[in-house]
Amino acid sequence: MLNYIWIGLILVGLFVAVGNDVTDEVRNTYRNGEVLEGTLQIQKSPSELRGSWEGELLVPKGTFNDFYGGARTDADVRLHASIAEGMDSARAILIPVSDATPRWWREMAKSGASKERLTGSVVGLQFNEDRTAARVRFTLEPVRFVKLKAITQAALDYAGTAVTIAFGLIGIMALWLGVMKVAEEAGLLLVLTRALTPVTRRLFPDVPPDHPAVGAMIMNIAANMLGLSNAATPMGLKAMEELNKLNPKVGTATNAMVTFLAINTGGLILIPATAIAVRAAAGSSNPGIIIGTSIVGAGCATIVGVVASKVLQRLPGYRKAMEVSHE
Amino acid sequence: MSDFFRALINIISVVAIPLMFLIFLGWGLVKKVKVYEVFVEGAKDGFNVAIRIIPYLVAMLVAIGIFRASGALELMIAVLGPATNLIGMPPETLAMALMRPLSGSGSLGIMTELMKVHGPDSLIGIMASTMYGSSETTFYVLAVYFGAVGVKNTRHAVPTGLLADLAGMLAAVWICNLLF
Repeated sequence: MLNYIWIGLILVGLFVAVGNDVTDEVRNTYRNGEVLEGTLQIQKSPSELRGSWEGELLVPKGTFNDFYGGARTDADVRLHASIAEGMDSARAILIPVSDATPRWWREMAKSGASKERLTGSVVGLQFNEDRTAARVRFTLEPVRFVKLKAITQAALDYAGTAVTIAFGLIGIMALWLGVMKVAEEAGLLLVLTRALTPVTRRLFPDVPPDHPAVGAMIMNIAANMLGLSNAATPMGLKAMEELNKLNPKVGTATNAMVTFLAINTGGLILIPATAIAVRAAAGSSNPGIIIGTSIVGAGCATIVGVVASKVLQRLPGYRKAMEVSHE
Repeated sequence: MSDFFRALINIISVVAIPLMFLIFLGWGLVKKVKVYEVFVEGAKDGFNVAIRIIPYLVAMLVAIGIFRASGALELMIAVLGPATNLIGMPPETLAMALMRPLSGSGSLGIMTELMKVHGPDSLIGIMASTMYGSSETTFYVLAVYFGAVGVKNTRHAVPTGLLADLAGMLAAVWICNLLF
């Protein structure tokens, strides 16, 4: 099934991206080639050293939203900009992207040649009498294939992210695997395992009750519940390795592995610290109010997950995948 | 009551790791385990496990990245949006429910955004944060855990994980509507 989900994510992504880009092109969402008008409060005029006007570009909110056909900004657009004189008296406008840049323009800049600024050509420049301000009429560089560029960038970025995540795991993996090994040699995991045997025997009937996998799984689940994700992942991976030692068909998931992951992805956690922190940061009067509701939600997810893993493992297709061929 | 519970859990989370070091390594010492040697022996595997995950994680994250960047999620929300009202789910939280199993950072972003727009103590804010706390990033967990042991045929793990996510999201909608 993961095969289909995986290719499904990619294909749906590609088709939707192409569809969005074609729609944008037909509707001319980014107003390619159309003229936008604004005023430039000139702060610096051209001199011998500098061949450009610099100042603050103002495009009123109404003009901006009318131009792009929708609520693209909720304030007047005021941005630093410069107009440079090129050859044949062609003038170019440069608008560096800053925090004040409306999101719409930031998206457009992302798919341009330079991600740090918007560029365009100036069609008309009319100065007032004392040359402190000018009306600028300009067309921005055409923006095309926004989504296709975005998915290309996302694919490259995420491939890098995967490696960053894996590298980040090396240290804590080594730390916890070392500690776990000491606990195992000292027989501590066995004590823990025996205490919970009545539960684990039912959850994981295929795993011998005294197997090291059981101890590692208990540790992982306990760490997850306490919100110690740094410790939980190494213990979980240790548990997977131990479970894999019992796997008659390496490369295929066993029933115990799927049940274990169902508990794990259920995400039962006593204090959802991240969500609480975000709520507190957003100014909630009671950030911790979601503790109870989260436990209910995650509890349901975990129970349904465990039951689903037990029911689905009986389906003929999934059973067959586990059979070892004797040839 | 809830404050006491929270304080207790907070204390436990703070002391848990130092305590684990103390108990695990101390117990080893009592049982005359050569703690240093055994620790190093176990830690050796850390590198290999982390490296082994890379191809699985690249495959999974790239697919999710393409899906997210394409705008497919917005399309799904437009299609499914009208149906969510039937179960008492504000359509705004649909993005959260769909993103949660796919991406941890993505769903964190959606939660933050929803709270900024609607306020953390609105029904939408509470529901979004409950949803965030009600599930793990299923596809990430599957990629990492199965990657570590080289499992390619995941059998019923994906349907199981998705059913659990669905249950978690529906339960979050139900309990929030009931209480708030």
